[in-house]
Amino acid sequence: MMEKLSRIIIKLKWIIVASVLALTIFFGYQSKFLTINSDILSSLPDDDPAASLYKTIGTQFGGNDMGMIVLESDNVFKTEILQHIKQITDSLRYTDGVSTVTSLTNILDIKSSEWGIEIGKLVDEHNLPNKQSQLDSLKNYVFSKEMYKGAIVSEDGTASVVMFTLLPDADKQAVAKEIKSKIKNLNLPETLYFGGLPMMMNDISDLILADIVWLLPIVFVIIALILLLSFKSFRGVLLPLLTACIAVIWTIGIMVVTGYELTIISNIIPVVLLAVGSAYPIHVLNNINHTLGKDRKQILIKALAYIMVPVFLAAVTTAMGFISFVFGAYLTMIKDFGIFTAVGTLIALLLSIFFVPALISAFSMYGKKVETDQPEKENILTHKILQPIVTLLFKHPKYSLTAWGILLLLSIGGMFFLKTSVNMADYFKKDNPTRISEDVMQKKFGGSLPIFVVFEGDLQSPDVLKMMIKTEHFMKNDPNIDMTQSVADLVEQMNEAMGEGKMIPDDKAKIEQLWFLLNGQDVMTQLVSEDLDKGIIQSRFASVDSKNINEFTSKMNKFIQENNRENIKIELTGMPSVYVKLNNSLIQSQYSSLILAIIMVLLLVGLMLRSISKGVYATIPIIATIMILFGFMGITGIPLDIATVLVGSIALGIGIDYSIHFITGFNFYLKETGDAEKAIEKTILISGKAIIINVISVAAGFLVLIFSQIVPLQNFGILVALSMFGSGIGAITLLPIILILANRKRKIVANNH
Amino acid sequence: MIKIQTVVLTALIVAGSIFSANAQDASAILKKMDDVMYSPKDMTGKNKIILIDKANKQEIREATIQQKGNDKRIFRFTAPASQSGIAVLSLPDDIMYLYLPAFGKERRIATSAKNQNFAGTDFSYEDMESVLFSVKYTPKLVKTEGNVYTLELTPIGDKSDYSKVMVQVNRTDYYPELMEYYDKGNTKVKEAKYTFKKIGNYWNAAEIEMTDLKKNHKTKMQMSDVKYDTGLTDDDLTVRKLKQ
Repeated sequence: MMEKLSRIIIKLKWIIVASVLALTIFFGYQSKFLTINSDILSSLPDDDPAASLYKTIGTQFGGNDMGMIVLESDNVFKTEILQHIKQITDSLRYTDGVSTVTSLTNILDIKSSEWGIEIGKLVDEHNLPNKQSQLDSLKNYVFSKEMYKGAIVSEDGTASVVMFTLLPDADKQAVAKEIKSKIKNLNLPETLYFGGLPMMMNDISDLILADIVWLLPIVFVIIALILLLSFKSFRGVLLPLLTACIAVIWTIGIMVVTGYELTIISNIIPVVLLAVGSAYPIHVLNNINHTLGKDRKQILIKALAYIMVPVFLAAVTTAMGFISFVFGAYLTMIKDFGIFTAVGTLIALLLSIFFVPALISAFSMYGKKVETDQPEKENILTHKILQPIVTLLFKHPKYSLTAWGILLLLSIGGMFFLKTSVNMADYFKKDNPTRISEDVMQKKFGGSLPIFVVFEGDLQSPDVLKMMIKTEHFMKNDPNIDMTQSVADLVEQMNEAMGEGKMIPDDKAKIEQLWFLLNGQDVMTQLVSEDLDKGIIQSRFASVDSKNINEFTSKMNKFIQENNRENIKIELTGMPSVYVKLNNSLIQSQYSSLILAIIMVLLLVGLMLRSISKGVYATIPIIATIMILFGFMGITGIPLDIATVLVGSIALGIGIDYSIHFITGFNFYLKETGDAEKAIEKTILISGKAIIINVISVAAGFLVLIFSQIVPLQNFGILVALSMFGSGIGAITLLPIILILANRKRKIVANNH
Repeated sequence: MIKIQTVVLTALIVAGSIFSANAQDASAILKKMDDVMYSPKDMTGKNKIILIDKANKQEIREATIQQKGNDKRIFRFTAPASQSGIAVLSLPDDIMYLYLPAFGKERRIATSAKNQNFAGTDFSYEDMESVLFSVKYTPKLVKTEGNVYTLELTPIGDKSDYSKVMVQVNRTDYYPELMEYYDKGNTKVKEAKYTFKKIGNYWNAAEIEMTDLKKNHKTKMQMSDVKYDTGLTDDDLTVRKLKQ
């Protein structure tokens, strides 16, 4: 059957080549329209209550995505510095996509004095204080009010923050970019820091893009060099790379056609596909090189018929590894990544089976046939690596197994130290300006992670407002909460200004009348809904430590549970809540997607090879690799984050290929020779070569990511490379050891399929 | 020689007068507009404030107004019930008093922030002040078309939140028909449509429809039962009178 298909492929070679060309032109043209969405918020799942509440707040309260600009000097209470803060405030205010701006020069202030109330701005922006006495009294006033101290001016008086929110439907990256360039163009002499999620996402996506632009060509060249060294032929370089590139182009084209955007995760798809997609043609070519025969066309058909099954299995299992993200991931962008890398893998499969042989046949790229007598003896790879491995394994299978056992025990120990990280700031290197900015935000202004507590009920009722105050007091007990803001605070201040003390009046009529004055203040739309049936407490969380975040959210959720009543519904959301979910999902999704992928692979391999035991054998090296991977992460302190969480399944998907090639090779030679030990030796020597070439090319490709400017991408590169070595070496050592030992216990016989 | 001199001189005079005519015209038009808007000695009437949000949902407030000259005014809310009795007294030099009946006391309020909106409407405190336009702005006649002059008003000094206001003034009766407000980023942010009616000797702004283009929110202020020159005295516009 495979032979028949092979013949058809060779017969239809021109049609295949032409249609691949046409589709490549089409998808290549489509990829021009690819857009980038670096907004992690849009990737939050709608079915998670905390996440969907967070999104709702964005539309109801003028933006949930908070950016911050910090201006630092020796003392901010100077006329020229106030002037500069006003300049920043104004240029933000007149930027499309910015919803609200709050700064020292425009913040609402309610003052009570013996003669009355002053509702206005803390600073008159049209008449900035310019006498030392005015500046001193401003300073004293700011430091006397909890609302401002440490919230808008740092406690040491050296820095002031301008906060802004973005409209939920704005192109956040474009807005962040515009803000940055506008503010930089002001050429202010003070030190400026840009922080908050929108700014960070913009920086991350810029860095990734910059990385991809210069790393991708390097990956390309390295893979090409390794292929050249391995195959010593032009087609050996051209076909794998061409296949990978076409797979990348089609995948991106399909993303555009189906209306998807590139995210901070999916923009590593090209790197992944370059590595994965080049693997299948390598095996096809390797097999053509090793197939004996007279007629070149016959060789091609024979080789193709043999390699179809393992390549199909390898690609489908890899795709399964990617697909397993769809079921376990919290962020939709990780699901999208899973879907499209799977699509790309299957494209690479189709191309390897149809396009590569068609191209070889169409353009007579058979290559010069190597002298067939003793071709392998010349090869360093065979001579220096594979042959010694064969000798070692057959001589000391038990010692070799013990060595693996020790390695795995060490890894299991290391797994207990595995950490998670969802903090975006950790994604930048320590000396990156964005990272420095986040440190400044955290040290001087209580962090940049927004928290919202949503109250549903009659916002003008004393009960609801009193509950808000109670909640704020509770929140401020946490060392990581510096400031909270709500309409209840304003009502209290107004009541004080009316001469009745800093408290919520018991009489609803009084609240309604105080409200009259608050009506129309800019800040009100950020704090209460138009129908006055929803209000929020805004706050920020100063720590990005998972433990602190977890503690705070569980404490808050308990408080909310105790205080929720019929007429007051309280809910918590914000980045800490989202981070908790994200953090839990990192571990959970890792388990579920790995287990799912392992089961799928086991069943598929078992089914295709008609032997469950062979399916189990095939998964052993990869399970060992995954243990080593997590052990390594635990020992070296590389955390599980939104990039490294991908490695497990990718390692599984790509790594299983080596086992599959080994098992199918073993099956084939077992039938040929009838002797298991001979078959194992032959498989190590022949399939082992393709495996090593493949491991080195994929690992080298991913290792280039070490030069990335983003920490998770660096880690990602190291970990994938490690996994490749693990699963590759596992396939040519651990797997044969098990086969040798199993065979010595009970003779393995060929099953016909 | 004489001829040439005369020609040049005439040309200069004509050119000069055209030039100054423009400047004079613009100021004169604005003065006439101020006259139409601010000439009554006093005024009383009922005011209906209709707030319309972007979903076209309406909220109605009612108030009575007493105004003497240009700079003394009491705004007393009568509806809805929760706001009934709240009264605002505006006196010269930005002095304002507020009376809240639920507290039974008045408080002086200062709004140093004139760009804040008045009581949830789309009118800012700056829009509500009754300072003559010719005092606040430098006018320039942009065009004369149909039945309107279009003036570009530039704020004098830097106290305003606007970069400019474009006004369309009725050519026959000199009342404003449309005002367009531009922010400092030179984006049109608000728009006020005026409907004037003649009551006795005076033109009355029977309806002002202010639209906040950014928020897509509208406020209509409608006047009714307007009476002019009823002889209000300074005693009628005092803190003591607020409580009634």
